[in-house]
Amino acid sequence: MTVVLARVDDRLIHGQVTVGWCQQLHPDRILLADNAVAADAWQARVYASSVPPHITATICSVAEAVNLLCSGPADERILLLTGSVSAMADLVRMGAPVTHVNLGGLHIAPGRREVLPFVYLDELEAQSLARLLASGVSITAQQVPGGREFVVDEALVREFLEP
Amino acid sequence: MRGLVATHGDLGRELVRVVEMITGPQHGLTAMTNHGKSASDLTAEIRGWLEDGADPESGTIAPAVLFIDDHGGSCANAAMLATRPGEPVVILSGVNLAMLLAFLSWREDLDPDELVARLVTRGRDAITRLGGVS
Repeated sequence: MTVVLARVDDRLIHGQVTVGWCQQLHPDRILLADNAVAADAWQARVYASSVPPHITATICSVAEAVNLLCSGPADERILLLTGSVSAMADLVRMGAPVTHVNLGGLHIAPGRREVLPFVYLDELEAQSLARLLASGVSITAQQVPGGREFVVDEALVREFLEP
Repeated sequence: MRGLVATHGDLGRELVRVVEMITGPQHGLTAMTNHGKSASDLTAEIRGWLEDGADPESGTIAPAVLFIDDHGGSCANAAMLATRPGEPVVILSGVNLAMLLAFLSWREDLDPDELVARLVTRGRDAITRLGGVS
């Protein structure tokens, strides 16, 4: 399987993904790796219903996603989604073939501070980003194709953790 | 019958503003944006709006229509996740001005099923070719 986009977005499957990125990247499958959504049949149904009919929707746990990514057909194009940085870091740690991560939207919430206009993090999430970078994954933040792209590097994460 | 217009950006706020320009101030019609909100925050905000209209003694949710701009977006997902089986809440996507004006005209007079059927028809009928090159 080829991961054409590995995106962290706390809105999960929504218009920026199904219209913006899918029209640009033409994935065969949207793979949402989210333990909580996968365990809730109603949530899984709601999010799956957001996927255009010509794209396969798969909603599963992080562990199941790793298995799928490592065993699926080589020519299948995957748009991989998680709702948190830690889930994406877990995917990479468990062997998912991800070399670049797109931060698409992590919105304001208690305990989070602004890093970029659409990226708010708490310390644990920043540490997960640091782990991803240390494992050789590159990271940028970009909401939609053609939108402004921000490089997320060690210096940015360090500055966040040690202001 | 209460109405919530939950949309991307300022679309809902502007729809409600224009509706009130035409009809005058309205009670029980609220705009909500998804701007800057995660899926869980938007779901909680819609749930909070529904519960604000609940009967204070029984906690029963009041009849409501959730107007959404487009199916498959964060507002539609949040609306579906915010409602619970058996509640008198209808979710309609594709909100437009005609649909909202019809809602305000008929919301006190029709039973919910009839109202919703008319809103769908009215909203669809508003999309029509008025002229131009054939």
